[in-house]
Amino acid sequence: MSEVGVTSTGRVVVKVVDLHKYFGSLEVLKGVSLEVHQGDVLTLLGASGSGKTTLLRCINHLEQPNSGEIWVDARPMGFRIDAAGRRRRAREADVNALRMDIGMVFQQFNLWPHMTVLENIVEAPLRVRRWPRRDVHERAMALLEKVGLVDKKDQYPSRLSGGQQQRVAIARALAMQPKVMLFDEPTSSLDPELIGEVLGVMRALAEEGTTMIVVTHEIGFAREVSDRVIFLHNGLIEAQGTPEEVILNPTSERSRQFFSKILH
Amino acid sequence: MLENLQQSLEAFDLALFWEYRAVLLPGLLYNFYVFFLTVGVAVGLGLVAATLRLSSNVVLRWIGTGYAELCRNTPEYITLIWIFYVPPLLLSAALDRNVSFSPLLAAVIALGLASSGYFTETFRAGISSVPRGHIEAARALGMSRSLTMWRIVLPQAVRHMLPEAMNQMVSLFKSTTLVSLIAVPDLLYQVSLVSNATSKGLPLYSGAALVYFLIIFGFATLAQRFSDPWRQRSR
Ligand SMILES: Nc1ncnc2c1ncn2[C@@H]1O[C@H](COP(=O)(O)OP(=O)(O)OP(=O)(O)O)[C@@H](O)[C@H]1O
Ligand SMILES: [Mg+2]
Repeated sequence: MSEVGVTSTGRVVVKVVDLHKYFGSLEVLKGVSLEVHQGDVLTLLGASGSGKTTLLRCINHLEQPNSGEIWVDARPMGFRIDAAGRRRRAREADVNALRMDIGMVFQQFNLWPHMTVLENIVEAPLRVRRWPRRDVHERAMALLEKVGLVDKKDQYPSRLSGGQQQRVAIARALAMQPKVMLFDEPTSSLDPELIGEVLGVMRALAEEGTTMIVVTHEIGFAREVSDRVIFLHNGLIEAQGTPEEVILNPTSERSRQFFSKILH
Repeated sequence: MLENLQQSLEAFDLALFWEYRAVLLPGLLYNFYVFFLTVGVAVGLGLVAATLRLSSNVVLRWIGTGYAELCRNTPEYITLIWIFYVPPLLLSAALDRNVSFSPLLAAVIALGLASSGYFTETFRAGISSVPRGHIEAARALGMSRSLTMWRIVLPQAVRHMLPEAMNQMVSLFKSTTLVSLIAVPDLLYQVSLVSNATSKGLPLYSGAALVYFLIIFGFATLAQRFSDPWRQRSR
């Protein structure tokens, strides 16, 4: 996307076209379009209520958009085109299959409390991907190594700190070997001293070339790690471009206000 | 005075209970028989009604709620008598031939209905105690609805509702002593038969009370032992 000054030429992993989403009569997304290329890190910024979470949740179909299209890895998410060329609702099995390729990390971690750390990580690879047990366990241990929690593998989540839980949640999502990772304010419910360890893991993922869409209020992190930044306002893209363009030299009045509040 | 005392002591003469054990203990088997059949009926109906109550369809939700409230708020004693007499009458009229319920059948239906109301509420509360986020995390990984139910929701729901469900089973066992009302030959019924025949009822009733107490106390203690560690593991 040279028009926004991005060098990436990788293939498109996520494509959103003119997405609209209503909650009742409230229009939360008012026609959002974006593309994320393989290996890119896209950060979504915006004030509370601007629709960041809703946009992420539409991408893996936890929310159903009212109109517009979402493509993940060139496959339609949540809809299909029937023989007559009409747009239909996707079959549930197809949605599930596509979700396997989309990792999601939630603000509230959402680990399953009745399973140990290791059980949380291997659950979906074993039962959804149906990968062989040995491979899954081997890879789970490698992921725990990566997030620095090998010694916690047999603990229940309630025994871990928030930062540790979130790192397990990241490992759980990565264990499915997704094509893209969605992060929804992964550090917002952490104590300040625990934020760094989670951002550290995310930074390492970005450097390895993981394709990521990140919603965060950590502006420093966004500047440093993002290839591209989108500033959402009231359900519309107000500004987009490199971190320098959007955060440091905002052109629109609204983004200038938003970033001056955060940066100073 | 002394005579009075002796008479009172005779009321606790458990030897008499033991003497009639061949008649009485098979009656106890009936209590267990009714209990296990009723648990099956109550858990089954409770699961169905809980599913209705959790449905996204308003009408189904209302039906589930109405059913549970009706069952819970009618005294078991009345349900028992009503089921024994009324539906057979209605069926007889409708089918134009003589229909009657065996006491055992009526007892299982009546107690099953009555306690299914409580189970409905327990199951509903257990299932809805599972945070949405846990379910969304599963769905986001590509897990199907049923796999999510089976692996994520039910294991947590069961832990949550186990103590309550155990208590309800204990009360259900207590309720099985009502069935002698409609001549199910349970322990209490046998006691009343023997006591009519021998005019030495008091020690038999004392014995029955002791036996019931021991069983129910034992069951309640086991239930507690069993459900505590489960609860702790979940958080
Ligand atoms: N399930 C829902 N039902 C009704 N309204 C909703 C629902 N989810 C979100 N909204 C509304 O949609 C708007 C956008 O919400 P969203 O969570 O996407 O914002 P956000 O940008 O993620 O904000 P925040 O920074 O606070 O997380 C808000 O006005 C919110 O109240
Ligand atoms: Mg949000």
